[in-house]
Amino acid sequence: MKSIYIGVDVGSVSTNVVAIDRDVNVLFKTYIRTNGQPIDSVKEGIRQLKESLGDVEVLGVGTTGSGRQLAGAILGADVIKNEITAHATATIHFVPDVRTIFEIGGQDSKIIIIKDQMVVDFAMNTVCAAGTGSFLDHQAERLKIPIEQFGDLALSAKNSVRIAGRCTVFAESDMIAKQQFGFSKAEIIRGLCDALVRNYLNNVGRGKNLEPPYVFQGGVAANRGIKAAFERELKSEIIVPEHFNVMGAIGSAILAKDYIEKNKVKTNFRGFDAADIEFTTSSFECKGCSNRCEVVRVAMEGKVIAMWGDRCGKWTNSL
Amino acid sequence: MKVSFPYMGSAIVYKKLFEFLEHEVIMPPKPTQKTMDLGVKYSPEFACIPLKMVMGTYLEAIERGAKVLVTSGGHGPCRAGFYGDTHRNILKSLGYDDVELIIFDAPQDNWKAFWQNVQKVRNGLPWHKIINRMYTLYRFVQKLDELEKMVQKIRPYEINKGQTTQVWNEIQEKFDKIKTRKELYEVYEECKKMLLSIPTKEVDEKDRIRVGIVGEIYVVMESSINFGIEEILGNLGVEVERSLYLFEWINDNLVPWVLRPRRFKEIIKKGQRYIKILIGGHAVETVGHIVDFKERGFDGIVHLMPFACLPELVTQSLIPKISKELDIPILSLPIDEQTGKANMLTRIEAFIDLLRHRKKGKTKEVFVDELQQHAEEERVVMV
Repeated sequence: MKSIYIGVDVGSVSTNVVAIDRDVNVLFKTYIRTNGQPIDSVKEGIRQLKESLGDVEVLGVGTTGSGRQLAGAILGADVIKNEITAHATATIHFVPDVRTIFEIGGQDSKIIIIKDQMVVDFAMNTVCAAGTGSFLDHQAERLKIPIEQFGDLALSAKNSVRIAGRCTVFAESDMIAKQQFGFSKAEIIRGLCDALVRNYLNNVGRGKNLEPPYVFQGGVAANRGIKAAFERELKSEIIVPEHFNVMGAIGSAILAKDYIEKNKVKTNFRGFDAADIEFTTSSFECKGCSNRCEVVRVAMEGKVIAMWGDRCGKWTNSL
Repeated sequence: MKVSFPYMGSAIVYKKLFEFLEHEVIMPPKPTQKTMDLGVKYSPEFACIPLKMVMGTYLEAIERGAKVLVTSGGHGPCRAGFYGDTHRNILKSLGYDDVELIIFDAPQDNWKAFWQNVQKVRNGLPWHKIINRMYTLYRFVQKLDELEKMVQKIRPYEINKGQTTQVWNEIQEKFDKIKTRKELYEVYEECKKMLLSIPTKEVDEKDRIRVGIVGEIYVVMESSINFGIEEILGNLGVEVERSLYLFEWINDNLVPWVLRPRRFKEIIKKGQRYIKILIGGHAVETVGHIVDFKERGFDGIVHLMPFACLPELVTQSLIPKISKELDIPILSLPIDEQTGKANMLTRIEAFIDLLRHRKKGKTKEVFVDELQQHAEEERVVMV
């Protein structure tokens, strides 16, 4: 029977589940659309893992992403970590001398600066989505091009059209204007890729010292047009790791592995039955004081198993 | 007069001030979603979040019966200096003609206006009484700030999660009831004991993480808008200190120049290493405090800025340079009306990871053995 560590990354757009063995070989990976239903997507991921690997011994579970607490509660995770640490952990494992990580996902984009295998600086997009996957998704839809073909079409263009990158709204109107001028779809798409990279480096990478080796990961790394735009802009090779779209999940699995091995403890994993158990989340406003915290409550078959969101710990500690 | 004021930080201090001046105090509620909804609805869209939150607070205070609103003004070329008039105009357009807004600008900017305002709120009390009570209030603020600083150093190490915050709430309630100076000193001693009796875990000096919080005054002082960042950090095991405390603010802005402690000047001087002229808001102070925190051995800085706040944007653009020169990590967080916490938590958590790893990395050779022992703590599972 195989012994595995499970890593789960619940993002706003996708939920990724991986299984690694003791030597961090990726035995299984899946990439599921979250569709606003993180509980269902986590369950689906676990179900697929079980189906694919058969009987396994789970030694540890780690969760990450914006839904890390929820996923952690559902699965009984050993380690619940933020995605910046998780991404860096995985990347350092596969590309030990990495200096700069570009991570572009659906809603979030990040830059992580590494020195001597240690995160020394990072940044996330703040109030702008013009450097993320959703921006591309949306424009692909407008141009009636499947997002999967987006990158290759961009590569086929000989020239780029300058598209205002500032924000998605500006970009969109500029794009429409350029279409009316008669530029080809391929050229416009290449322009969009350039705009996204420009935006990303200006917004997220502002003031950062970017040094190679560069690693590019996250869902958007599948887009060869963006990779090429990065290479043009930075005049350097960009590494896209094999498991580029599940690096967060792999990182959280590695963290769980490290934690379990170092402390010689048993996992809290609820077991694969978790996929069949009914979990419900609800929230309420605590009226205990003027903070009026929104407390999130997760129930497993009617029994509350986790609560968070309260600043004073009144509910979190009540379990 | 039925007096109210903007809610910011330890609002009981302002309440005490007007109680001492024998006004009927209408306590504004601590800002909530409702405050924000009201503020956003009735403020210009381009305005920054402090203006909106204060607008909301005014409307809630008026709802509770306030007839006079007292606030401090702006200083230097920041939009905040214009906010009093903006608020006044908005209130007028909403038909609150009977509500008066009194704005205290820094006395040295306009002594005459300041004096007129003093006469308005003085409430005809004899001067000896006022001076005596203002001195009590001065000490009141000082003692309350001292206790808050203790809270920020105890919270990260508490054994029973949430206990420090609970005690801090009790302390504020006790302070709220204080009437005289004698009572103040007694209550202070009692509260100090309460804090010192909180069970804490021993943490070695080299494992302690200290973070300084800097930025625009409202988002730094008011926890309801900054997601309770001090508590978030405290719960992650981090000691915090703010760049701004009311006592220091009073010393810097209201105490006559000659009596002012020298610290303020030092901070400004430190800030002027990077920003030569005063550009309004707390930009120079923010930078000065970053330098100061670094000199005092802090591990990192969290820089809070209202979205689109010009002085803080200037600071933010300087941050890569400052961070590099001083060799201290700085995390800038723009704050607006969003209530989703996930994104912010991710940054803070990752930032603290970074600080911890940095600290351990530096001491790697020396403390390899201890590192092994602290493995448990290193991989803190956060809830």
